[in-house]
Amino acid sequence: MLGLFGALNLGARSLQVQQQGVEVAGHNLANVNNTAYARQRLDIQTSTPLPTTIGNEGTGADVVAITQLRDTLLDQQIQGETSVTSYLQSQQTALQSTEAGVDEQLQGSTSTTGSTSNVGSPGGLASDLSGLFNSFQDLSTAASSITSRQAVIAQAQQLTSQFNQLDQRLNTVNGQLNQSVQTDVTSANQLMSDIAGLNKQIVGSEAGTGVANDLRDLRQQKVEALTKLVNVQTSSDANGDANLSIGGQLLVSGGTVQDTLQTYDSGDSQLLLRTASAGTPLTLTGGSIAGTIDARDGALKSLHDGVNNLASQLISQVNAVYRPGYDLNGNTGANFFTGTNASDIDVNAALANNPSALQASGVAGATGDNQVALALAQMSNATQAGLGNQTFAQSYNGTVTDLGSALNSVNSQLSDQQSVQTMLQTQRSSLSGVSVDEEMTNLVMFQRAFQASAHLVSVVDQMLSVVVTLGQ
Amino acid sequence: MRVASNTFPTSLTNQLATLTAQQNRLQNQVATGKRISQLEDDPATMRQVLDLQVQDSQIAQYRKNISSLQTQATSSYNAMSGLQNLSARAGEIATLADGTRSPQELSTYAGEVTQLIQQGVQLMNGTSQGAYLFGGTQSSQPPFVATSDASGNVTGVTYQGNDSVPGAEIAAGATVSVQVPGANTSGSGPGGLITDSRNGADFFNHLIALQNHLLAGNTSAISSQDAPALAKDEDNITSQIANNGLVQSHLSTVDSLASTQSLSVKQTISQDSDADLAETLTQLSATQSAYQAALQSGAKLLSSNQTLLNYLT
Repeated sequence: MLGLFGALNLGARSLQVQQQGVEVAGHNLANVNNTAYARQRLDIQTSTPLPTTIGNEGTGADVVAITQLRDTLLDQQIQGETSVTSYLQSQQTALQSTEAGVDEQLQGSTSTTGSTSNVGSPGGLASDLSGLFNSFQDLSTAASSITSRQAVIAQAQQLTSQFNQLDQRLNTVNGQLNQSVQTDVTSANQLMSDIAGLNKQIVGSEAGTGVANDLRDLRQQKVEALTKLVNVQTSSDANGDANLSIGGQLLVSGGTVQDTLQTYDSGDSQLLLRTASAGTPLTLTGGSIAGTIDARDGALKSLHDGVNNLASQLISQVNAVYRPGYDLNGNTGANFFTGTNASDIDVNAALANNPSALQASGVAGATGDNQVALALAQMSNATQAGLGNQTFAQSYNGTVTDLGSALNSVNSQLSDQQSVQTMLQTQRSSLSGVSVDEEMTNLVMFQRAFQASAHLVSVVDQMLSVVVTLGQ
Repeated sequence: MRVASNTFPTSLTNQLATLTAQQNRLQNQVATGKRISQLEDDPATMRQVLDLQVQDSQIAQYRKNISSLQTQATSSYNAMSGLQNLSARAGEIATLADGTRSPQELSTYAGEVTQLIQQGVQLMNGTSQGAYLFGGTQSSQPPFVATSDASGNVTGVTYQGNDSVPGAEIAAGATVSVQVPGANTSGSGPGGLITDSRNGADFFNHLIALQNHLLAGNTSAISSQDAPALAKDEDNITSQIANNGLVQSHLSTVDSLASTQSLSVKQTISQDSDADLAETLTQLSATQSAYQAALQSGAKLLSSNQTLLNYLT
């Protein structure tokens, strides 16, 4: 038999258990909107029974643990998918910036009655490229006309300035992407140091006293933030540490950051990633850093290369036709375009204020001859070996629509990926998310039990006072 | 499935975001009339549309070339037609100036022929868009220069042009020239308007001979040499005018073809890239209904905020 004091003790422990139940419900309610939080439950166990002559007698209940409802497998899945989502998102952002830089879009409803039509955006490169060849056509119908010559030079200047601007815009996007890689690496290093610190705290606070639920929530949140940046592999050891590695390179082991991430210049001013101390180049498979690098070295680079190649071909092919021509004063041998690629393409400065210096004639002294102007005009339909046997316009249209395809593919992949991510998040929320109704029920449950336990103490107290007054 | 408290607001936010994005896309399509506008929308079609737009822009340019050539052809025609009148009058004079005419009459005719030569030179030095029409590609100086003696009679007319003419594109790979050189004595290439060695045309020199024969009163030379020579010149001019007519008619035909082609290219562009308004508006209205329903049900659930708390006292 427990005896009255035993029963009083039972009541007191029961009060503690119920009070802790109320506290846990309160903690859950407080974190209802904390996305990193996994709901917690009180593990209640009957206290060690007291052997009596009539068998074991119960001695009430004790709290043995506060456990959190978390599925580590689901967490790992979410880590992996977060990495993929973030990889695609950063690609999308990078390619959207590039698309904005290219600025080729279809505008306005197609008019079937209008005599002129735009190619791409009015004032875009496609439109100016087409405009240049049209101005050569105009010149071929009036080779000695100063007005036509001025129009050719103005149109060419507009085109070269478009090339220069596009090149500059693509360089700016490239610079921003490198900057973004740098910022992400700094954040990743900070997160790794935070995770190592949390490992230390978790191991310290779990030594013999159960699981540090809230610290583990915080660590999981940091790990997920890190996988957004770079696809890390996590493994936990017996102490409860989360160890992090990328491509087999151990970065965080227990409470120590073994190595940090560092960017390095791969030789062409493009930043890549390696470990800081070991200097091992890392091949990334997910995360925003990889997404940014892949977009930069993939679609952006091929666009930039395509535009540069187009500019170089335009310079060399137009100059080759133009150089043997004669201007209105019988001079020959000058180039139409100067420069080597999109960054420095320009119209020969000698033409700027001197349209008569345009070499449109194919015969010395015959100012009305238009052989060169006509040959230049006819280049608009000529395929160029240097452009993969496409015309200048086709090559540019192909180059920019390749960017569109890359972005389109990222968009649809991201849309699918987001469905997967949402599904997993919903699953996790279903398991770990706090439900106000549930917690209110628990609260009432523990409150009532607390009331009952208090009543028990009061009853035992009355019994004790009866016992105490027995002898009087 | 167990639904946690923040599952509902999260999914509502996602649904509303998706529906808003859809509405935004459809609204853009309706407002711009374009089913695709950005490169990412439909890259394959975008590529096709850009290529078609280049083609359409080229067709528009060919039509512009045709129009410019038509202007030149009309200017040439006007000059040639004036020249034909001169030639007809010269032919008349050559017929009228027979042995029955007095030396005075012949001298008056000679004066008229001098006038005709000068008028002819003036006509042949006509310009279109700043370039001399009949100088071949040597278009920066007057093609014909007349020299006169002290008494005002024309002693010679020199041709300063050449015998090549510039061609311009009126369709991909098809070049046409509407110009006629003033003289071609090479025996090949485009026919000369005033002088052509292939058919014996040499209008100005024949007029000078007529003028000189009239002044000298040599009516027999006029009837035996000048009249047949001038007849050849007239034939040559008439044939050049006929050619001009043929070229103009060719230009009109090509222009009309280009116009049809442009219309068909524009229709293809429209089919590829324009939004079907009826369909897009229907989709927009369906999306709006879904959005409204999501808002309404979401707001109801959020505002009533029913939890167990409402019933606990």
